[in-house]
This record gives sequence, C-alpha cells and structure tokens, in this order.
Amino acid sequence: MTPKDYKFTSEHEWIHPESGNRGKVGLADYAQTQLGDIVFLDLPAAGTQVTQGKKLGEVESVKAVSDIFAPASGKVLEVNQSVVDEPKLVNEDPYGAGWLVRVELSKPAELNNLMDNAKYDKFVAELTEKQSE
Amino acid sequence: MTEQLKKTPLNKIHHELKARMMDFAGWELPVWYTSILEEHRTVRSAAGTFDVSDMGRVWVTGKNAGAFLDRVLTRRAQTLDVGASKLCMLCLEDGGILDDLWAYRVGADRYLIVWNASHIEEKMAWLRRWAGPDRDIVIRDKSAATVMVAVQGPAVCQLQNLKGVCHLARFGNAETRIGDMEVLVARTGYTGEDGFEIISDVANARKLWESFTGQGVKPCGLGARDTLRMEAGMMLCGQDMDKSTNPFEADLGWLVEMDGDFIGKSALLEIKHRGIKRKHVGIRMTGQGIARSGYKIVKSGKEVGWVTSGGYAPTLNANIGFGYVPIELAAIGTKIDVIIRDKPVAAEVARRQFYKRGA
Repeated sequence: MTPKDYKFTSEHEWIHPESGNRGKVGLADYAQTQLGDIVFLDLPAAGTQVTQGKKLGEVESVKAVSDIFAPASGKVLEVNQSVVDEPKLVNEDPYGAGWLVRVELSKPAELNNLMDNAKYDKFVAELTEKQSE
Repeated sequence: MTEQLKKTPLNKIHHELKARMMDFAGWELPVWYTSILEEHRTVRSAAGTFDVSDMGRVWVTGKNAGAFLDRVLTRRAQTLDVGASKLCMLCLEDGGILDDLWAYRVGADRYLIVWNASHIEEKMAWLRRWAGPDRDIVIRDKSAATVMVAVQGPAVCQLQNLKGVCHLARFGNAETRIGDMEVLVARTGYTGEDGFEIISDVANARKLWESFTGQGVKPCGLGARDTLRMEAGMMLCGQDMDKSTNPFEADLGWLVEMDGDFIGKSALLEIKHRGIKRKHVGIRMTGQGIARSGYKIVKSGKEVGWVTSGGYAPTLNANIGFGYVPIELAAIGTKIDVIIRDKPVAAEVARRQFYKRGA
C-alpha cells in the first residue's frame, strides 16, 4: 500500500506535503518497478522553478531514460544529494530515503488535482490488470 | 500487438518466473527476471542462463558446404577443424555488413551457423542466392525446431551437468549429451565470461533450462545480455554496425581474411587500401550522464559522429558506450562530448573492450 498523506500524479510521481507550503517529491513504487535498476538522476538545482505537469528532471535505469514531471508548481528548495549519489535508493525506498527534491509550493491548491493514495492504488491496480491481459 | 510477437520454446517459463518481457527483433523475450544489475553481477561472479533461442540456427551441409561458406563469409570455414568454430561476417558485395555470425564446423561437411534474430528472411535469401541450384549445398533453418540456451560465468565448469564438456577448448563445439538430452554444445558466448551455448531439440526446452536453474544458475534477461556484451566490447549487428558500415570502420578487420575469393572481397580490399574515414570506438563518459544509442558525438561544438550503444557498466561502475568518430578523433584518450538532453557532456575515446576476464 502507498503511504497516506501522499498525493500522486498519473505519471507516478508523488508529493508529500509538509508544513509551510512545502513538499517532498519522489517516484512511486510502480515507477521504480517499471524502470528497474535506477542508475542516474538528472534533477534541477535548488532555486529552479518547476511547473505542475511539466518536466522536472529525468531518471535513467540500466535500460531506459524517462522524464520526471513536477507534481506541483514551485521553487526547488533542496535536492536529495543521497539519491543523486546513490540512485538505487529510489528502488529500495521510493517513499522514504529515495525522495528526489523538496519544493516550496507556489500554488498549493494544485494539490487538489492529484490523486490521494486510495485513488492512486486503484489506478495502479487497473494498470496492472491491463498489463497482465 | 503482443500476439504478433514470436515466442521462444521457453516463453512459458519466462512468464512463470514473472520476467519483465519486451519486444526484441520481433520476439517476446525477458528483459530481466529480478534485476539487470543482479543478473549482470551473477554472470561476472558465478553463472547465469539466458534464453537465446531468438538467434537463428541454420545448418549448411553437403559436399560443397565448406566451399560455399568460404564464398559467402569473410573468413574461411574450411580451415576450421571439426569441433572448432569462429566468428565471421556476412558482407554484401560493397563490403557492407549484413550480419555477424558464428560458424561451427560440426562434421566434415556439416556446418552450423548461428546468427542474429533480425532480418532472417533477407539473410536466408542471400545464402540461397549464392548457393544457387547446387544439390551439394543444403541449407536448413532449424531455428523453430530447436531451443538455444547460453550458460555463462566463471562457475560454469562447477555445474554437474557441464563437467563432461569442460574439456572443450575456447570456441570448441561437440555433439554430445547433457543428461539424456542430445545437444550441440559450444564454448562460446556473448558476455566476456567463460561459458557454453547449448542447442537441443525443442522438446527438451524446459528440461534443459531447468537442468541449470535447478542447480541455482540464475535466469538472466536481455538487459544483462546487453550490459555484459557492452563491457566486453562485443558488437550488436543492426545497432553497432549494419549494411551502411564495413568491417574496417567497425574495427573488426580481424574478421576479414583476404585469402580466397569471397563476396565483398574486392570492395573490402579497396576500402582497406584507401583507408577508412571513420572508426567505431569505445566511449567512456567523464562527465555526468549516460550515452545512449543514437546520441550525437561532438567535438568543439561540431557534430562529428554518433553513439551506437551506451549505458551503465555495472562491473566498472562507469557510463560507457560505443560510437563512430572520424578517424582523426579515434585515438584512445581523445576528448569528445556526447549530446545528452541538448547539453554536451564530456567523454573520451576508450578501448572498446572495457572488461577482460581475469584482468
């Protein structure tokens, strides 16, 4: 099960809102499973403005390159240096140590556009069902 | 779409093992079972098994089989002893590369060629064209009737059912048995490790596979097959070379033996004499980024070549690749840039064989 209080995009990014209109951003478990072993992350530097639904960075697994989209608009406050140094943290702990960036939200109301964990779980269950057909 | 993909005799097992499947040259094959990195490392440290049934297995037999292969291949098949094998190329008349393949001399007039999964019909037509109506050249594609498994890694000779074939020399082959299965075994592979490639009747597919996995040999997918061969400096035809490139540009001149008269010889002689303008080289990323097939190579801001293969090299913990560069930039250590997401990332030309076993 995905953690409570996290909000999800249909592209499998998550944001975990924190006090002071901030939020940690990461990749959902489904994304890391699909990508396989993650070996490189291209993340925006602190200070970069990101826009909901627009490209935030890129993730590379051994096999493929994939875009990461910003789950919400705002300014990047901090990049998780541990995950840049050790990208496999995304595979090992996508909702914890594998977080990517911390963002200061410029439009907190945007979070209402995202799925809560229950809705997202259902969304993933349907995707998985489709794949196994 | 999935219905149209061809399935190997081991397809069901891959699904049972819940492998992540992908389309490779029209085949539904596992890209990984558990993790590319785990599978890669297991082959470097112990042993892994690969379903390589997608590769074509074509028997060329008859009194004139050897002479025929000498004519269509860039190396002489008839100089092989029975039980020996060599890597060869199939070149067009203009020297372009149709495929690279292994030629195994199994009997005096019995050769097996194992080639890549792509363009099978075109390659078969090419062989038949040059064989003509000669009844002493019999060409039979036995791919669908057989299964092919590669078992690779430093521990292969510790496997109970391979002890009997560990006397085989490197690149040697033999018709023998594994358990009660009739097999053709060759001491070849595509990983840079010791190992065997084993062909048997399609009816033995599961039994053969499980004879290895039952001993703890790890199933490995296409992902590891790609990272392993890249580290070992091995080429993938259709990606690193094709009809628009020749063996000298591909830095595979050692696969061209200029004795005898073979298809493409006069063009290749001329190319060799004239000298090449571009060369396939190894690339080591020195800046942050992973080169991928198709990325541009630039020097001082000017586009000079392209990446043909690229990725993360687990054994080296580095990002590596191959690509074509102008001959004047082909020296090892030459600084180049690879364009990754519209930005130049520093790299240098390197020896293409990044990994050598025992080194």
